Amino acid sequence: MSADTLTTEPAATGAADDPVVVALRQRFGDHALLVQPTLTGMPVLWVARESFGDMLRFLRDMPEPFEMLYDLSATDERLRAHRHGLPEADFTVFYHLLSVSRNRDVMLKVALREDDLALPSVVSLYPCANWYEREAWDMFGIDFVGHPHLTRILMPPTWQGHPLRKDHGARATEFDPYTLTVAGQEVEQRALQFKPEEWGMQREREGTEFMFLNLGPNHPSAHGAFRIVLQLDGEEIVDCVPDIGYHHRGAEKMGERQSWHSYIPYTDRVDYTGGVMNNFPYILAVEKLAGIEVTERAKVIRVMLAEMFRISSHLLFLGTYLQDLGAMTPVFFTFTDRQKAYEVIEAITGFRMHPAWYRIGGTAMDLPKGWEKVAQGFLDWMPRRLREYERTMMDNAIVRERTRHVAAFTTRDALTWGVTGPNLRATGCNFDLRKQRPYGGYEQFDFEVPLGRHGDAFDRGQVRIEEMRQSLRIIQQCVDHMPAGDYKADHPLTTPPPRERMLEHIETLITHFLQVSWGPVLEPGEALSMVEATKGINSYYLTSDGNTMSYRTRIRTPSFPHLQQIPALMRGGFVPDLIAHLGSIDFVMADVDR
Amino acid sequence: MPYTLTRAEDSVTAQTRYPLGESRRVEDDPMKQQVHRSVFTGKLEEVLHSAVNWGRKNSLWPYNFGLSCCYVEMTTAFTSPHDIARFGAEVIRASPRQADFMVIAGTCFIKMAPVIQQLYDQMLEPKWVISMGSCANSGGMYDIYSVVQGVDKFLPVDVYVPGCPPRPEAFLQGLQLLQDAIQEERRPLSWVVGDQGVYRAEMPSQRQMHRDRRIQATELRTPDSL
Repeated sequence: MSADTLTTEPAATGAADDPVVVALRQRFGDHALLVQPTLTGMPVLWVARESFGDMLRFLRDMPEPFEMLYDLSATDERLRAHRHGLPEADFTVFYHLLSVSRNRDVMLKVALREDDLALPSVVSLYPCANWYEREAWDMFGIDFVGHPHLTRILMPPTWQGHPLRKDHGARATEFDPYTLTVAGQEVEQRALQFKPEEWGMQREREGTEFMFLNLGPNHPSAHGAFRIVLQLDGEEIVDCVPDIGYHHRGAEKMGERQSWHSYIPYTDRVDYTGGVMNNFPYILAVEKLAGIEVTERAKVIRVMLAEMFRISSHLLFLGTYLQDLGAMTPVFFTFTDRQKAYEVIEAITGFRMHPAWYRIGGTAMDLPKGWEKVAQGFLDWMPRRLREYERTMMDNAIVRERTRHVAAFTTRDALTWGVTGPNLRATGCNFDLRKQRPYGGYEQFDFEVPLGRHGDAFDRGQVRIEEMRQSLRIIQQCVDHMPAGDYKADHPLTTPPPRERMLEHIETLITHFLQVSWGPVLEPGEALSMVEATKGINSYYLTSDGNTMSYRTRIRTPSFPHLQQIPALMRGGFVPDLIAHLGSIDFVMADVDR
Repeated sequence: MPYTLTRAEDSVTAQTRYPLGESRRVEDDPMKQQVHRSVFTGKLEEVLHSAVNWGRKNSLWPYNFGLSCCYVEMTTAFTSPHDIARFGAEVIRASPRQADFMVIAGTCFIKMAPVIQQLYDQMLEPKWVISMGSCANSGGMYDIYSVVQGVDKFLPVDVYVPGCPPRPEAFLQGLQLLQDAIQEERRPLSWVVGDQGVYRAEMPSQRQMHRDRRIQATELRTPDSL
């Protein structure tokens, strides 16, 4: 393994001479945009409300276009102290665009005043803006003029207020304790009732009445608290409306009150099958803000644990996916394998699902003595099992019939809807961040990116089995070439801070005490890190206001757009196809609602 | 042994708060008065209760209901390595009407609470609730606007399983504790026999039971080696 490595992303070059910025300046003039210096690794441009729509259209239609609206959300700027050189704003809406062909990102920001919180909807340009705009309305109360259905998406329909505003309470214990009365129960149940007219749906067609089937919020195939209402003509799905928000844990608001360090366990619980994989983007973003360069050993340990969790998550996927198709036994096999994976994870981290094991500047501990043997045991166990799964499950005629050409979509569709990860690669698109924008030491590893061809439910399963093989390859390289050295960087902002420095004199003791009790203070700035998580691209966009905690934590999760795409795929399909598709997406609701 | 008596409520007004029904502490074994009437029926009732409870506790059908992370660990308990079938609770039911107990495995959200209440109401007596994990027990890490601080704010809970998430073994232990509680329960043997109420035994606190043994531990295993 090479000692000197690139940790900065390729896009982290100077923003002003970025070709996209140059093109935008040529088209819209020098004054149309203001470049904000950030640590996000992409140009961040402030633009006027009047022109941002044209700019988005220009970026979407330019040669090598920005095909994907990767993220859209807002920030409440009213209490932010460090805003030197930025336009006046009470609220900011940001549009994060991603170009697969350029392998580059750009972010547009629009400033809004409190008394005029409205801007035009971009659903006609990017259909996947639909849910993101609803979320911004729900969380901040920002009006998107022209949106087809601007209603609450995460909070209950009866909710008052916009939780991510700075003047909204964070803790449940700030409000009156929750009670449920019989009358309240009736009000809530009535509010949950689906009214087709609100969604522009007909109740009948040519004298035939449609059936409206309510699937969820608790349904064995819905993988958690997810609800989807189907408009059915016999077995055929005429239209459907996914309803989410039954698993909204306020993870973003939580980031505004936990210290940089004590927020780590909350990240574990976002994609709860992904474990430390969730720590990865958060820690990388914090380390960018703090300017910490981690050691080689820490990098390899992190990669190894992240890949262990990728396998564990994919095994859970495989078991439940096949169970949704009616195969009862696979889940017993894959959970046996997961138990083996947990033996390794537990031996190293001491915990099963949510180890919260990454630290700012490294990991929580060094690897225990004898870890190689446990890890090697797992590596020897798995390949045989994967072969067996392929033979007995993916070669199974019933599985093939149920999944091939079912809920298929093209790369173009996928990018339009913000689909990433294995679901995108199942369409044949070679976009894996571990290869395209190596982070955290992935550039040192030898592995391949498995691709599908048809983008159907079958390929989504097949790609994941293949990904497990590649993850095993990566872990094998970690076992064979684990670098010696420290598991934590030597930097004053690492958490917990180095104890050796504490006992020198009273100053060092006080510094240590403050850094442990309050946590490290990070310089004002903005950083963003993306990783190829188990289900797709997961990123943390952190805004620091020079404090012990984040000013705004934006978590972009892959499952959110994946669910939004369902109606576009399922119109005209059959109910069993929907179940097969739900199984093949691989989502968990915490990763959707956060 | 002291009991908690719960009784279904006939008169429910709109302002009544969940959990519905009367709940009160009873010091004496409800059977005692009846037992003393005749020594033979007393013995017989004891045998009958014991037999019915034995049947109930060993064929608990769980409701297939999950909210978040804890559900993954709960499912793990159902698969081969942990094999919940050893305790007669593997017949997972997708309909609340066929299920005996519900595990609140995960965070209870304000948006989800009315749904949980609806599903609980659809379950038939006898029914029990296990609260699995910190979120369901008390809100846990999530003292946040969208989360109910403990499912016992509106549901009667029989067993609390601590952990975030609890290991599958912890869930299995919780299940066994529920079984122990069911064994001690007194329910009417028929709609004409005895007092028409459910007497739930107050089971001993696990924390108190194990405290002495636990504080004996002075040295913990080092994490530096396996």
